[in-house]
Amino acid sequence: MPTTRRSLLGTGLAAAATLALPAVARAAGPRVVVVGGGFGGGTAAKYVKKLMPAAEVTLVERDKQFVTCPFSNYVIGGMEKMQTITHGYEKIAKRGVTVVHDEAVGVDPVARKVSLKGGTVLDYDRLVLSPGIDFVWGGLEGYDEAASEIMPHAWKAGPQTLLLRKQLEAMPDGGTVIIVAPANPFRCPPGPYERAGMIAWYLKNNKPKSKILIFDPKETFSKQALFFEAYESLYPGMIQWVGGKQGGKVTKVSPKEMTVEAEFGEEKGDVINVIPPQRAGKIAQVAGVTDEKGWCPIDPRTMESTKVKGIHVVGDACIAGAMPKSGTSANSQARNAAAAIVAMLEGKEPPEPSFANTCYSIVAEGYGFSVTGVYGATPEGIKEIAGGVSKLKAPAKDRDLEAAYAYDWYRGIIYDALG
Amino acid sequence: MQRHPWIIAAALSIASAPALAAPTVEAIARNCVVCHGPKEAGQVEIPKIANYPARKMVEMLTGFRDGQKEATIMNRISKAFTDEQIQALAAHFAGQ
Repeated sequence: MPTTRRSLLGTGLAAAATLALPAVARAAGPRVVVVGGGFGGGTAAKYVKKLMPAAEVTLVERDKQFVTCPFSNYVIGGMEKMQTITHGYEKIAKRGVTVVHDEAVGVDPVARKVSLKGGTVLDYDRLVLSPGIDFVWGGLEGYDEAASEIMPHAWKAGPQTLLLRKQLEAMPDGGTVIIVAPANPFRCPPGPYERAGMIAWYLKNNKPKSKILIFDPKETFSKQALFFEAYESLYPGMIQWVGGKQGGKVTKVSPKEMTVEAEFGEEKGDVINVIPPQRAGKIAQVAGVTDEKGWCPIDPRTMESTKVKGIHVVGDACIAGAMPKSGTSANSQARNAAAAIVAMLEGKEPPEPSFANTCYSIVAEGYGFSVTGVYGATPEGIKEIAGGVSKLKAPAKDRDLEAAYAYDWYRGIIYDALG
Repeated sequence: MQRHPWIIAAALSIASAPALAAPTVEAIARNCVVCHGPKEAGQVEIPKIANYPARKMVEMLTGFRDGQKEATIMNRISKAFTDEQIQALAAHFAGQ
């Protein structure tokens, strides 16, 4: 594949400049606070400001840089570097969004205030929560935060991504990699299987006697036939998937012994990647917008919480019906939420939303495929209008083209959310 | 209490699409620009659609939707849209 297609440097290269808070007096525009600077939060902040320049938009984000989960599997496989998936907030700040690097720790939905760890209290007319996911530590026996330093999850990109990469580099040829996939719902439904492909890509070229086992409580998963087709043609015999019917549900992990106990029996691994059970990010629970399962019910027309008025929830944290928990879904939900918020602030009827998702998976250099969908709001939630996955047995040129499109998609979403 | 426009819009939707409300062309178009971004996004392979000739866009989207034109992904996406929505999208992007 030509390097121009793949080279992402220059489009999203992060600069490490720190942003000072402008010391401005409160202006007259409506106040919109956005918590979480990922694809959902970045997009919501940018589009509210774009659609309503008079609005005072504040984006609260804990980290100085956004390390994206999309493309982090390519870092794990050695096809990309951390630099590629690391982005700053300078461009969105230049658009007039006030970026505050702090952690939201409290929400008062009656007084409409968000309190930050550093002591700042922000008033809002409309609040957007895009907190992504948190892990349910202990939800899988033996797997807590300390265990994740031995058996990385790498399901929030950053140091965990590098840790998994380093473990793969240190593994001997002939070793066993175990991926523990979670039950639904979870962030990035095709992610564990793309990861298996990218790890296989690395192993095939460097440690070809090694094996990958995927233990899964599910009986089906996203783009399953496409993944199986790819595994068989690219990495014959290297990847074994053990689904729910075969006893693939993992009940316990032991970081000390480096073992995984599944319903079918115990297995030892040289590298064990555990993707734990998840729920909406903590601030959603603090704000009272989560249900008993830990996710956030919303009105799909506005993405406003059905539990607390004035708070909109977008991205992985919300219950978006047919839409998967993906970066593109978050981005699309946030654009619609921004349009609804601006209409509501102007005292107008929120426009009817249109949602879309596109999610590419690359399992070898020049080998990509996708799932896509267009969605609408109904009284019963978000429903798919049309969509589907790439064709099976597609010619190599289509797989190559879709891998190139994945890179363009990445450039586009980074620009749309933070550029 | 907000008025729920899906009741009205459902009556307007045509037979090929499920009974969903009709989004504005702006709402649909905002989804397109993630992959078909502006020049600043730096995309290499995916065609730009800002200022795209309207007649050609109608031809392309209708062709993808009806299976007359080959595509990797737009064949799946374009099935979501009615003739009227395709016309409106084409006019929207041609006018940029």
